[in-house]
Amino acid sequence: MREKIFEAKDVVIKFNLRGHTLTAIRGASIDLYDGETLAIVGESGSGKSVFTKSFIGMLDTNGWVEQGEMLLDGVNIAKYKTEKEWLKVRGKKIAMVFQDPMTSLNPVKTIGEQIREVITYQFGTDKAQAKKEAIELLRQVGINDPELRYKQYPHEFSGGMRQRVVIATAIACRPKILICDEPTTALDVTVQAQILDLIKRLQKEMDMSVIYITHDLGVVANVADRVAVMYAGQIVEHGLANEIFKDARHPYTKALLMSLPQLGVKGHELHSIKGTPPNLYKEIKGDAFAPRNPDAMKVDYEYEPPFFKVSDTHYAKTWLMSDKAANYRAELAKAHEQTEKIEPLPPKDYSNGKKLVSVRNLYVNFKLNRKEFSAVKDVSFDIYEGETFSLVGESGSGKTTTGKAIMKICHTSSGDIYYDGMKVNGKMNNHELTEFRKNVQMIFQDPMASLNERAKVDYIISEGLYNFHLFKNEKERKQKVIDAMHSVGLMEEYATRFPHEFSGGQRQRIGIARALAVEPRFIIADEPISALDVSIRAQVINLLNRLKAEKGFTYMFIAHDLSVVRFISDRIAVMYKGRIVELAESEELFLNPLHPYTNALLQAAPVPDPDIERGKKLVVYNPAMHDYATDKPAWTEIKKGHFVWANEREADEYRKILK
Amino acid sequence: MTRYLLSKLGQAIVTIVLVVLVVFALLRFMPTAGYFSKEQYKEMSDAEKNAYLRNMGVLDPLPTQLYNFVSGLFKGDLGRSITLYPNMPISTVLGEKIPYSLLLNFISWFVSAIIGIPLGMAMAGNKSGIVDGLGTLYVVIIRAVPSIIIHFFIQVFLSRWFDLPMLFYMDQPVSWILPVVSMSIGSIAGYATWLRRYVVDEENKDYIKFATVKGLPKRFIMWRHIFRNAIVPIAINIPSDFLLMLSGSLVIESMYAIPGTGGLLIKSITAMDNPLVQILVLLYGALSVLGVFLGDIVVSFVDPRIKLVGGNDD
Amino acid sequence: MESNAKNNPTPNINDIPDALFTRAEFHEELSEEAGFSNYSYWRSTIRTFFKSTVVKVIVALLIALVAYTVIYPMITDRDPYAVALSAREWNLPPSAEHPFGTDGVGRDIWARVWFGTRTSLLLSLAVAIFEVGLGVIIGAIWGFYRKLDTLMFAIYNTLTNVPSTIYLVLIAYIMKPSIFTIMIALVATGWISEARWFRSRILALREADYNIASICLKTPPKRIISRNVVPYLVSLIIMDVALTIPSSIGSEVFLSFIGVGLPADLCTLGNLVNQGRSAFLVYPYQMICPTLILCFITISFYIIGNKFADASDPRNHV
Repeated sequence: MREKIFEAKDVVIKFNLRGHTLTAIRGASIDLYDGETLAIVGESGSGKSVFTKSFIGMLDTNGWVEQGEMLLDGVNIAKYKTEKEWLKVRGKKIAMVFQDPMTSLNPVKTIGEQIREVITYQFGTDKAQAKKEAIELLRQVGINDPELRYKQYPHEFSGGMRQRVVIATAIACRPKILICDEPTTALDVTVQAQILDLIKRLQKEMDMSVIYITHDLGVVANVADRVAVMYAGQIVEHGLANEIFKDARHPYTKALLMSLPQLGVKGHELHSIKGTPPNLYKEIKGDAFAPRNPDAMKVDYEYEPPFFKVSDTHYAKTWLMSDKAANYRAELAKAHEQTEKIEPLPPKDYSNGKKLVSVRNLYVNFKLNRKEFSAVKDVSFDIYEGETFSLVGESGSGKTTTGKAIMKICHTSSGDIYYDGMKVNGKMNNHELTEFRKNVQMIFQDPMASLNERAKVDYIISEGLYNFHLFKNEKERKQKVIDAMHSVGLMEEYATRFPHEFSGGQRQRIGIARALAVEPRFIIADEPISALDVSIRAQVINLLNRLKAEKGFTYMFIAHDLSVVRFISDRIAVMYKGRIVELAESEELFLNPLHPYTNALLQAAPVPDPDIERGKKLVVYNPAMHDYATDKPAWTEIKKGHFVWANEREADEYRKILK
Repeated sequence: MTRYLLSKLGQAIVTIVLVVLVVFALLRFMPTAGYFSKEQYKEMSDAEKNAYLRNMGVLDPLPTQLYNFVSGLFKGDLGRSITLYPNMPISTVLGEKIPYSLLLNFISWFVSAIIGIPLGMAMAGNKSGIVDGLGTLYVVIIRAVPSIIIHFFIQVFLSRWFDLPMLFYMDQPVSWILPVVSMSIGSIAGYATWLRRYVVDEENKDYIKFATVKGLPKRFIMWRHIFRNAIVPIAINIPSDFLLMLSGSLVIESMYAIPGTGGLLIKSITAMDNPLVQILVLLYGALSVLGVFLGDIVVSFVDPRIKLVGGNDD
Repeated sequence: MESNAKNNPTPNINDIPDALFTRAEFHEELSEEAGFSNYSYWRSTIRTFFKSTVVKVIVALLIALVAYTVIYPMITDRDPYAVALSAREWNLPPSAEHPFGTDGVGRDIWARVWFGTRTSLLLSLAVAIFEVGLGVIIGAIWGFYRKLDTLMFAIYNTLTNVPSTIYLVLIAYIMKPSIFTIMIALVATGWISEARWFRSRILALREADYNIASICLKTPPKRIISRNVVPYLVSLIIMDVALTIPSSIGSEVFLSFIGVGLPADLCTLGNLVNQGRSAFLVYPYQMICPTLILCFITISFYIIGNKFADASDPRNHV
């Protein structure tokens, strides 16, 4: 066993909020060993961020450590109160990297200055020497031309590059522990893979211990030696990465892993976790997860379980592991065996049906700093009635703009969009517009922003009913609202509440109810689950799929998360910098990706399996690899239904690959 | 760079033209009596008055008047004062008065900056503490109580307590103290509140939290990081503040009998000295527009994100 | 409230009855209960607002003062314009009969102050309502129709690039001195800044996802404004009105000072202060008394406006 370098014992952290004292961390303990990577996994409100922030004295001013110890080099830093005490720890012993690199750097100072000042301040190094060291650090984190970049300002760097600078700053004082708080959540998948690689490399080079805070199990599988799972302010299970991924014991961990779309069987429901995670206001009795666990025992509602040992390195805080629950364990295992194996349904072919939406040679141009650029370039595709069509791409790929253009909430520069034979872009008469708005609806990415905070749920869901006069009397309207709420799994009592009384997942369901109350035919879902907690993503995916089956919706799904896309889509189009580079039937695309960008994207997406993740090689897409000087690219059908943006030579190669 | 400056300059010119037009039109609503001195008005017959007005061009159609006024401007002829300084060229009037306003305002601008900025930083650094409380009390009084009342009490009581002259004399620098105090107290409150607000806004940003995590002490972060950012929105106003010095302070100059440009405007309006009013308004407008224009340029130096040259990216 | 205090301490495992280690019934509604507080925007705003003692005291005093100015003319038979013929009644110091003394022609300052307060409050309230009202309406139109940008910015630049005092003086001078003139002058110089401020608020609101959702549902603009926009502006409007009152009173004093304000014989706080000023060195109470009342009103509204602004920001609802 390696040496223990940090230990937090029975930490309780409280907050003052709106006149209440709330407990954010309810007695959490963790050990950190020399040179290891520990991942703390949890969803929003689990307290993972608060817990780790307390290691470095960065709790918000209304929070404090009520009890517990945090031992660093034999000193209990939980007792630290003054800035002077914390200065001994921050940067030198424990450093931290934040989630959003776009806001972590001072916009008006050069990045070199921001690294150099730490070195000068902490070690008293003279400026010239500190500058040399800063440039060396920039080189170390993989920034080309560090001498030149040293003098530049943050806005001259892309998101991924900024995160490299942030990391360089954090390691400038050679800390023993690096805390990374969702360091790649704000980044694109391909950039994320590079940053994860960088942190792994630096950890070895500098012999640091790294604490990773994340909600993404794929990232955990990629980086973690050990994993701790947090729920409602407590660590509920911890163990080596393989133990957690292959042999989870806590019902929450198990449910979380089972609900991942990678494990879903196409055409069937995903395993989903019921309900919604508790927030700080909820009174917790017994096992916090019990109310969401259909297999909970009576004791879970009564008493908080202790940790039970699974192996020397693996502990789980659940009554299920106690000797007294042996009978119940057997009962569950038997029930599990009896569930029948389900086979994936064969892909459906909708291409003989009606074309509901057609996009032809669409361009959307924007002006930025007086320079015009095309956010969407020559995009054409059809969506057939009844299918789920997905647009996948990274930020800036134009996928959302395309969705908005179809939704008629964004201008188009040229090209045509047709819905059910009607031309959508350009002028529409009032009758056509009504027809279009009634039949085409949108589900938004951010459930916190997409509901009017000052209106009751009843009004929000009725909004479309009023606009299209879809009811004869008040009773019918109420009934329609209740029906819509039931079909998204919300209780009808919620109709009189305001949006802020709901969690993110519940709010997203209200947004879906609002869209489906007007009985549309076509729904554009713009990243509908990316802002949601992991444990409720499966619920929403299932809901969307169920509604499709029941009401015959056609979906256009806009997403960056490939695992979800694969599970939910019939056909997928991959966008890169405004252009569709590849379009194919879902499984075909995943099995035979042709375009190098598609390949890079598929490779970069983390898979929640440590064995696969550890052996993974990074593929970086470089657009300069295409030689389009003479041989111009075109939209080419390589095999039936599988299109690629390629020139003649590339198309020939692709054909060979498929044969 | 040049294109950006030209478009800004174009906007500035459009604004000045509009200001002139509006004021010009407003002044035509004023009674024609304003074009005579008091004696003239009493002595002249109606026919004489009409002839006088026609001679001055006041009875011409509005476009002609406007043309004459503008073409005069281009020739460098600002016109002549009528009632206030009968027949004196306005350029002479301004030439005599501007130095007084410039002197006092420059001193008070300097005083407000060196007191107001540290005060704002101290208030932000001591949020909800004694310094902040006293500073806030000061700001509330200065901003809520009508400024005339404050200036009046300063004039009456400070002159009594510190035995200072109540009026301004150019050759007695000690008599400059009270006008400068009066002029500064408002802008001190202005600098302090704005700076405090910007600092408090910046303090909650991620990059400040990151700087804290790097292990830098609060004082260091306050001055080397927050201050640099918080000063940006203040810097934009520095040229305006500076240029508007020329225009003097309306109330204070008349209270202390300072022969500057500030009192001039009110006097010229009450004396119905239309040509003078026109020129003064034009001057204010031009200075303020120029101030905004220069403010944009200053900001581009303080804030690297704002580039007068086209942006670049990696 | 201690949210987790009720958690039973876990007993020794051997003491827990075996019967508890069996399946519990699953309740859907329990799983959906996230435990969100029954937070209400307005309740929290008002609670935060009244948390400070200063605010409580100021609001109470202000209510009392306003009530008194309303009641005073009903309970007194003293005429604020009544001139005393006898010089013995002139310039009297404060006494039981004349709480604030009398002025140079023997008018009772106490009576004049309360009549003046009423006039000034009504004037500034009217100015505030018109100015903010105009600002909201024009700001809303401006925010929703981007084509107006060129025109509105031209107006904005023209009006704000010249110190507003110049327009104020010009308008006040061109028109005959009256309450109406002052109102027009103040509203005419103030509305554009309000409009610009509300425009930026409305632009931010307009881009919000929930408004785009309403557009996708073809909600008519009328209802978008009444249901999606106005409810978010209410607190801003209240704050703005509260802050415009002291500045209107200040402008009235300023205009009286340079002699283009209300007719000098009308009772307003501005006139009272300026009349008192000329006699200040000999009879200081003639200025001090009206000034104290005036300052109390302006400071109170200023503090209320700012505290309300803080309280209406959800980030401060802690």
